[in-house]
Amino acid sequence: MLRFLLHRGGQALIAAFGVVTLVFFIQRLTGDPTALLLPETATQADIEAMRATLGLDRPLGVQYLDFLRDMVTFDLGRSFVQNAPAWDIIASRIPQTLQLAAGALAVALLIGLPLGLLMALTRGRAVSRWIMGLVLACQSMPTFWSGIMMILVFGVWLRWLPSSGTGTLAHLVMPSIALGLLSLATYARITRSAVLDELGKDYVRSARARGVGIRRLVSRHLMRNSAIPVISITALEISQLLAGAVIVETVFAWPGLGLLTVQSIAARDFVVVQAVVLLGAFVTIFANLAADILYSVVDPRVRLEGK
Amino acid sequence: METAAPRSIRLSALLTWWPAWLLLALTAAAILAPWIAPLDPDRQNLLARLKAPGFEARGATYWLGSDELGRDILSRLIYGARVSLSVAVLSVLLSGLVGVAVGMAAGYLRGWTETILMRLVDIFLSIPAILLAIITVAVLGPGFVNVILVLALTRWPRYARVAYGQTLAIADRPFVTLARAMGASPLRVLALHILPNIIGPLLVVATLEFGLMVLFEAGLSFLGLGVQPPTASWGSMLSTGRNYVGSAWWIATFPGIALFLLVLSANLIGDRLVDRIGKGR
Amino acid sequence: MKQTMKGLLAGVALAVLATPALTTAAFARDITIDLAGEPSSLDPHMQWNPDSYYVYRNVFDNLVTRDNAGEIVPQVAIGWEQVSDTEMAFTIREGITFHDGEPLTAEDVVYSVKRITDPEFGSPQLGQFNQIVDATAEGNVVTLTTDGPYPALLAQLVKLSIVPQHVVEEVGAEAFNAAPVGSGPYAFEAWNRGVDVRLTRNDAYWGEAGPFEAAIFRAVPDAATRVADLQAGTADLVVSIDADAGAQLSGNPEVQLLSAPTERVGYVGLNLDKPPFNDLEMRKAASLAIDRQGITDGLLQAGEVPMSQMSSPAHFGYNPDLPLFEYNPEQAAEITVANPDLAGTPATLATAPVFDQRIVQAVQQMLNDVGFNVSISMTDMPTYLGIVRSEPAENSELSFGRWSCACQDADGIAYPTLHSDSSWSRVNVPELDTLLEEARVSLDPEVRQAAYNEVHQIVRDNYYLLPMYQAAVLYGATAELQFEPTANESMFLNRMSIAE
Repeated sequence: MLRFLLHRGGQALIAAFGVVTLVFFIQRLTGDPTALLLPETATQADIEAMRATLGLDRPLGVQYLDFLRDMVTFDLGRSFVQNAPAWDIIASRIPQTLQLAAGALAVALLIGLPLGLLMALTRGRAVSRWIMGLVLACQSMPTFWSGIMMILVFGVWLRWLPSSGTGTLAHLVMPSIALGLLSLATYARITRSAVLDELGKDYVRSARARGVGIRRLVSRHLMRNSAIPVISITALEISQLLAGAVIVETVFAWPGLGLLTVQSIAARDFVVVQAVVLLGAFVTIFANLAADILYSVVDPRVRLEGK
Repeated sequence: METAAPRSIRLSALLTWWPAWLLLALTAAAILAPWIAPLDPDRQNLLARLKAPGFEARGATYWLGSDELGRDILSRLIYGARVSLSVAVLSVLLSGLVGVAVGMAAGYLRGWTETILMRLVDIFLSIPAILLAIITVAVLGPGFVNVILVLALTRWPRYARVAYGQTLAIADRPFVTLARAMGASPLRVLALHILPNIIGPLLVVATLEFGLMVLFEAGLSFLGLGVQPPTASWGSMLSTGRNYVGSAWWIATFPGIALFLLVLSANLIGDRLVDRIGKGR
Repeated sequence: MKQTMKGLLAGVALAVLATPALTTAAFARDITIDLAGEPSSLDPHMQWNPDSYYVYRNVFDNLVTRDNAGEIVPQVAIGWEQVSDTEMAFTIREGITFHDGEPLTAEDVVYSVKRITDPEFGSPQLGQFNQIVDATAEGNVVTLTTDGPYPALLAQLVKLSIVPQHVVEEVGAEAFNAAPVGSGPYAFEAWNRGVDVRLTRNDAYWGEAGPFEAAIFRAVPDAATRVADLQAGTADLVVSIDADAGAQLSGNPEVQLLSAPTERVGYVGLNLDKPPFNDLEMRKAASLAIDRQGITDGLLQAGEVPMSQMSSPAHFGYNPDLPLFEYNPEQAAEITVANPDLAGTPATLATAPVFDQRIVQAVQQMLNDVGFNVSISMTDMPTYLGIVRSEPAENSELSFGRWSCACQDADGIAYPTLHSDSSWSRVNVPELDTLLEEARVSLDPEVRQAAYNEVHQIVRDNYYLLPMYQAAVLYGATAELQFEPTANESMFLNRMSIAE
C-alpha cells in the first residue's frame, strides 16, 4: 500500500510539474497583461515601466527559475491584476467551486443512478428506451442555453429561485442542475450496464430462482457490486466538474475557479493561471488515486500494485 | 430469418433508426446549402432587424424571421449546418487519429515510449480546455481551422486512453504474437492485426464525442473564441440569440432545436452502438 | 405568490414605521448593482477600469469632480488658482473626515499626489499624472507643479482620489486595497472576493448623503443574466447592456432604461502603410461606404450620435461646426471600380469580444458591398491590443475601437490616436504633430480650440482614420430609482434617489 502510494504520488508530482511548466511557457506566448492594466492613454514608456514593475522584462529563463524557486517554497506569487496574493484569490473561490461540484454530483448521482437501475430492470421494454432518450436529451443542450432558460423560467417568471449569485442553498439549485445534467447520462448509462452485468451472474439467477425479491436483491447486492464503475467515473467527473464549470459559472455569476481561470487568462494574469492549473492538476491526479484506493475498499478482490 | 422479416418490422426498423436518417438529412442540407437556402446567409438589412417569422422585405420572405442584423435565419441555419457538422466531423477525425496512434503506440511498444506518451496524455488531460483554446487562438489566430485544432488538442487524450487500454488487452493474444513471430513490422501488426480488433469501442467513443464536439463548438462561440463572424454556426447563432429570448424568440429557438436534434441523434446512435459493440467507456 | 406576500409584509412594516418618522422610510433601503466584473482594485491609486471605479469613487472623495452637466466643480478642493504657467494652488475644504474619524488635511492631498506619481509605486495611472513633478502644502493650500504648462491638469485631477496618509502608511498597500478607508459618502464594509463588495452609508459625510443604507456591487459576467436579475428584482441597477437587451425590458413597468451620450468615440482605424488604405481615394471610398446614421439610429439605438472627428460634445476641443461624413455607397463603388485590384486587396478588421459585434459586422458588410475585401478577425482583448499597437507591417489593415480618456479633453483622445509618437497611432503627419503638441501645452483655451479645429479638419479631409459615433451608455434600473447617467460614466450613489 505504501509503495503504491509513493509510486503514484511520485508520478503525480512529475505530471503536475510538466503541466505547470507547459503552462508557464505557452501562456507567455500570448502577450502580457501590461496593455490591459494601463489606461488607453499610456505611452510605450509607461508600458515598459509597468513591465519592469511586474518583472516581465527579465529573460524568460530567469523568470522560470524564479517561479520554480517560489514553487518549492510554496509561494504561488502575487496576482498582477488584483494586487493580492494568488493563493488568497484562489482560496476565496474554492468553497464556491466545491459547493457547485457537490451540488452537480448530487444531481447526477441522485437522478442518474436510479434511472440507470430502472433502465436495467426494464430492459428491452419501451420504458427503458424512453428513459434513455430523456437522459440523453438532458445532455444535448448547450449549458449557456439551458442555463439562461432556467433563469428566465424559475428566476424571472415563477420567481421560485434567485436568478443568479451565491449565498443560500436556493442559489445553488439551478447551477447544480445545469451542471449535473451533463454528467447524469454518463451515470445512468454506467449504472445500467453494470447492473445488467450483475443480473447475468449466477448468484443473481439462483437467488431469483429461490424467490428472492428484486427489491431485496437490489438493496443487498446489486448496488454494492455495481459500485466500482460508478466510483471510477466519479473520479473523472469530479476533476471535470471542478475545472469544467466555466460556462455554468459565467451564466449564473457563480464565482468559482472556472470563471477565475477564464478571467485570469483573459487578463493574462499569469500567476493566477499557473496556480489554478497547478491546483487542477493535483485534483485530477488525486481524484484518480482516491478512486483506485476506494476500489480496494469496496471490492477486496482488487489489489493495489505498484504498476 | 431476417431477410424474410415482414414489412412492418422493416418499417419499424426504419423508424427506430430515425437519428441516422436525421443526420443524413442534415448532412444533405449542409452540402446542398447554396441551392436550398432561400437567401444569402450574410446579407444584412438594418431596416429589417429582429423581424418575426414570415416577414417579407424587398420581395423576400424570412420564413424563420430575421436576426439582429436583419439576416435570414433559415438561410443561416442551413449554412450553419455546414460549419457545425464539419467542425464536429473534422475534429473527431483529427483527435481520433492522433489519439489512437498515440494510444496504440504506447500500448504496443511499452517501455519508455509508453511512459512518456501516457504521461503526456495525463498532462493534456489536466490542462483546462479553455486555456488551450485561448492560447491556440492567441498564437495561431482565430478561424475555422483553429477551432478544429482547439477541439482536437483537448480531446485526443480520450481516444489515446481507450486505444491504449484496448491495445494492452489484445497485444498478448496468440494471433498478434504469431504475426510478430512471422516478422511483421510493428506498423503492420498495429494496422492489420490490432486496429481491426479494437475499432469497435473506438467508434463508440467517436460517436459520443461527435455530439460533444457540436456542443463544444457552441461553447467556444459563447466565449467569443469560435468561428469568425459573420460566418454562421448553430452555436454562434444560439449564443447571440440567447440575448433576445424576451424580444425575438425566433433567433435562438430554431438553431437551438437544430442543435438539440443533432446532438441527440449522435447520442442515440452512440447509445445503440454501445449496446451492439461493447461498453466502450 | 411569495412575492406578493413579501410585498404585503413590507407594506405593513412600512406603514408601522412610517407613522413616527415619515422621512426615513425611503432610507431603509439597500441598492444592489450588477457589474460585469469584479473590481480588480479598491485602492483608487491602482487600476482605473469601470468595474473598479464604480465602487471606489463612492468610498473616496476626489480633489475636484464633475457635476452631472460635466462642469468641473469643487470637491475636496473648494477653489483653485493658476499661480504661474506651471503651478496651480488648491484650497482644501475643512471639516472633511475619513471614515476612521481622522480629519482630511492638505498633507493627505500632497501624499496622494506623491503616491500616485511615484514610479516605484507602479500605478497603472502613472501616465495620467506624471506631468505633476511636485506637490507642497502650506496651511490648507496645496500647490501642484507641472513639468510644463498643462491645460488638462484639472480634467485629470477629477480622477485623483484622496487617501488617508496615516492609514496607508500604517497598514501598507495590500491591506489598504483589501479594506480601503476613504472620506466619501459610502464607507467600505466587506469584500467577499469573487462574490461582492459591500458599502454602507457614511452618515457623517460632509456633502450630500446617499439615499441607500447599504450598497452591494456584484460581478455578473453574462449580460443576459444581468437583464434577468433586473427583471427578477434581484438587482436594482445593471450596467453594460445594449439597446437590444434593453428592448426586452420594454413594457415592463417595474424597470426602466437610462442612457446618456458618453465621452467614448467609436472609430475605424486604418493602416496607412499598407494597401488598400495607404491610398487616399480608397480611404475616402471606405468612409463613403459606411452609413453612420444607419448604424446609430437603425442598429445601436441607445442615443449614439454620428461623429466626424476624434472628439465628442463631451470633450473640450470638439468642433460643433465640422460637417458629418457623407454616406454615398454609389460614389464609393465608383472609386473602387476604377481600381478593383487595390480595392480587392484582402484586408483584416481586428476586433475583440468586448466590442459590439453588430457594428463590426455591419461595417464589414458595408465595405464589402462597395467592392472591398474585408474579413473580421476577432481575438481576445490582449491579443487585439497587441495587434493594434504593433508596427504598421504587422498591424491589421482595419481595426474597430472605442476610445475614452476619462478626461473629457480632446488631448486625451486625439493625441494618442493621431500623434506619431503614440503606439496607438498609425498616423505620421508632422503638421498634425505640431498642432497636437501646441494644443497640449497651451493654457489659452482659444489657442487650443483653434488647433483642435485644424486637427479635426485635416483628419477629416485625409480620412486618416474614420470616426464613427459618440457612444452612449445604457443602464437598466428599477422604476423607482432616479439616476442621471453622465458622460464620464460615473456612478455616484449620493447623486441617486428613490422616487416615492
